[in-house]
Amino acid sequence: MLRHIVTTAALAVALVAAAMAPAQAQDQKGTLVFAVESLGAQTLDPILEGRPGNAVYQAAMYDSLVGFDFAKGGVGPGVAERWELSPDGLAWTFYLRPGQTFHNGDKLTAHDVKFSLERQMGPGSLAAAAATMRRTIKNIEVVDDLTVKVRTTSPQIGLPAGLSRAVAPEGAIMPKTYIEKVGEEEFRKKPIGSGPWKFVRNVPGDRIEFTAVTTPHWRGRPHFKDLHFLLVPEESTRVAMVRTGEAGIASIGPETMLGASRAGLEVLSVPGTMQAIFQFYGTWRPEVKDSPVAKVRVRQALSLAIDRKQVIEHVMNGKARMPHPFATFGYTDFFSAERWKKWADEAYRYDPVLAKKILAEEGYPNGFELKFANTALPGTQFMIDIGTAIADMWTKIGVKVTLKHYEWGSFPPLERGDQAQLIGWASMYRTAGRPDAPWRYNGGFSPESTQRLFGDKDNCNETCQEFVKTYRALGSELDRTKRTVLTDKMVELVSNSWIVVPILEGMGYYAINTKKVGQFAPIAGRHELGDVFERIPRPEQKPWKK
Amino acid sequence: MKRYIARRLMQGAILLCMVATIVFFLGRLTGNPVDLMLPEDATPEDRTALIQTLGLDGPILDQFAIFVGKAVHGDLGMSIRMKQPAVEAFFDRLPNTLVLIPWAILLGMMLGIPLGVVAALNRGGMLDRAAGTVAVLGVAMPSFWLGVLLIFVFSVELGWLPSGRMGGPSHYVLPVITLGTFLVAGFMRITRSAMLEVMESEFVKLARIKGLSEAVVIWKHCLRNALIPVLTLWGVFVGNLITGAIVTETVFAWPGIGRLTYEAVIYRDFPLLQAVIILKSILILSINLGVDILYAYVDPRIRLA
Repeated sequence: MLRHIVTTAALAVALVAAAMAPAQAQDQKGTLVFAVESLGAQTLDPILEGRPGNAVYQAAMYDSLVGFDFAKGGVGPGVAERWELSPDGLAWTFYLRPGQTFHNGDKLTAHDVKFSLERQMGPGSLAAAAATMRRTIKNIEVVDDLTVKVRTTSPQIGLPAGLSRAVAPEGAIMPKTYIEKVGEEEFRKKPIGSGPWKFVRNVPGDRIEFTAVTTPHWRGRPHFKDLHFLLVPEESTRVAMVRTGEAGIASIGPETMLGASRAGLEVLSVPGTMQAIFQFYGTWRPEVKDSPVAKVRVRQALSLAIDRKQVIEHVMNGKARMPHPFATFGYTDFFSAERWKKWADEAYRYDPVLAKKILAEEGYPNGFELKFANTALPGTQFMIDIGTAIADMWTKIGVKVTLKHYEWGSFPPLERGDQAQLIGWASMYRTAGRPDAPWRYNGGFSPESTQRLFGDKDNCNETCQEFVKTYRALGSELDRTKRTVLTDKMVELVSNSWIVVPILEGMGYYAINTKKVGQFAPIAGRHELGDVFERIPRPEQKPWKK
Repeated sequence: MKRYIARRLMQGAILLCMVATIVFFLGRLTGNPVDLMLPEDATPEDRTALIQTLGLDGPILDQFAIFVGKAVHGDLGMSIRMKQPAVEAFFDRLPNTLVLIPWAILLGMMLGIPLGVVAALNRGGMLDRAAGTVAVLGVAMPSFWLGVLLIFVFSVELGWLPSGRMGGPSHYVLPVITLGTFLVAGFMRITRSAMLEVMESEFVKLARIKGLSEAVVIWKHCLRNALIPVLTLWGVFVGNLITGAIVTETVFAWPGIGRLTYEAVIYRDFPLLQAVIILKSILILSINLGVDILYAYVDPRIRLA
């Protein structure tokens, strides 16, 4: 009797499963086609790709140890559902979600996490932070299948953020057993990840194709059956492809938004993806002590002379925002965002009368000569227009601006070494939308950084020393409240120096064919849509609101 | 003839060495690929490490010596961006460009040569001026602008053709027209001037005196002789298409060697850029040599000179 019941039950379960499987497969239909200007290195091996490529297409098939907060932007759960720091600050323990698998069916365990991090730190890795990881990570221990402990050489409060795709690509999890079995070359040809999309085909210079997993996934089960990334470098062609329906979504720049909108396409803006800034070099050096730009109030006056709302309206077609202080956003971790937004709205106002008054009080009633390097980092060509616009605004308060344009490739060498060509100059610059402000601040202001905007090791003045002290304290502060206080202090030091001044908070822009793609929301601060594709509905599932 | 070929080969080898040297040093003047690979807040430590990993840390002359040493053995290095042998990347993409070229040449010849003949026969007339306008437009219209215009009209507005990418026969139409328009103008101009010169020749007058029909005189005797300079132009045009498809391939998202060159420049992928330029130079030198030999064969005065 019992045997009969068990057999009947098993048969029933099998029937239900059989009925469910085709239903699930039928639920995923069509192809989501995304036309993009660059596929980076176009490799599916995470250790050979940089941040943009990882965030655009590798994100589809790889999960990251630490993920996103989809609602707010910034760091959130990923392969690890939670993590904690040891009381001495020298070890992070990551607790993985149970039941995760790679596309070949292998279970995703702590061994894969250890293997992936060690591979990112390995000698063949092109990971941007490989050297930093080698220096700061002492060892990685597998506690059990779902727990991994990362011991560091010194307190590394920012480690989870550094292993989150919200910040960097180094947290991508790769299949240990598979790579060890087939070798690196074969893995690069037939890559396997644990994300909601499986690799199908990579055609160099043309496309990458993925197909959806049919099982549930913690990031969301894709609504489309296939996902194609098309490499279309020319923007007008990308927009044409969306108009004709050859692509459902295409990345565009702010200058194309109006045209795309008039052509009947939906234009999606992703908030908080970057900050356009201007900054001064070597203001702390003895040789520029008599230069106007060495004076804090003169630098502040230059900020007051900028009509940011005009720049937002006319250069960015209204699709940008007034900024927070340097390298901070609404989603920045351990930061009093609301308080600083109020401060920024007041501090970054347009007041040319006050600007001229300050210049007169500082001894420059007729203005002064300012050399200004105009440049645009890759993917933000509109920065050239912003630079030209603010140079024009400075001219109106009597500053005689010598504007020099630099193609991005030729600009970074000027920042390095003794910065001879840039001392006393201002330049355009940018900072990407990331939730971990301290790391970016250190990159700009540490005496050991490339830019060292407060001073170098031999000339570290009071502000510079205060910055170093604050940054060090942040590195080992475990208390969330105290950490916020320290971040705020760091922001205050930099903001009051007026050495790096935000102009606007930029967005990412996409043209969408509403007949091909349903309505979806991007992740704040995340320009790329790599972690969004699985949540994009088909048009019949969720039409765009008119 | 053998001495002629040997001399041309020697010239080609010298030219190739010069191209390789120039592209090596000029490429490095444009910046460092590491600056494009690292985020703006990367530490100097990470930058140094990546430069070492990519093998860009030695003195430039040492790097040049390594490059030359490997190049003579046919190894032009690994692409920094794609982590693939640069030569392999070039030959992966070359067929995609080569499939466009015959169609563009065919379009150029089929329209350009008859137009040139008609213009020569109506020298100074309306048809000549109309053909002249076609020639000026063909040469003056930037392929970027023409490509975008064709996409707008035939893809977006009319919906007849795809707006880009490799695919079936319909995908070839717009890129071929974009590439071929320049050739129509070139073939038309050279055919017209060659026809005018040949039509003044003694043998043409003799043919007419012998009572041959005007059609036979023009299309058989004049055109056949006028096609000799067109043959030379054909070689030049193939070279132009190989090197000049960058814009067309970028506009139409066509994954050929034009786009590969563009990507190598944009990403400062020095080994790839070197390989692409050197291999393109070899291709063009080979084509020109082939055309010169053919020309010398067709016209013995060339090899005797």
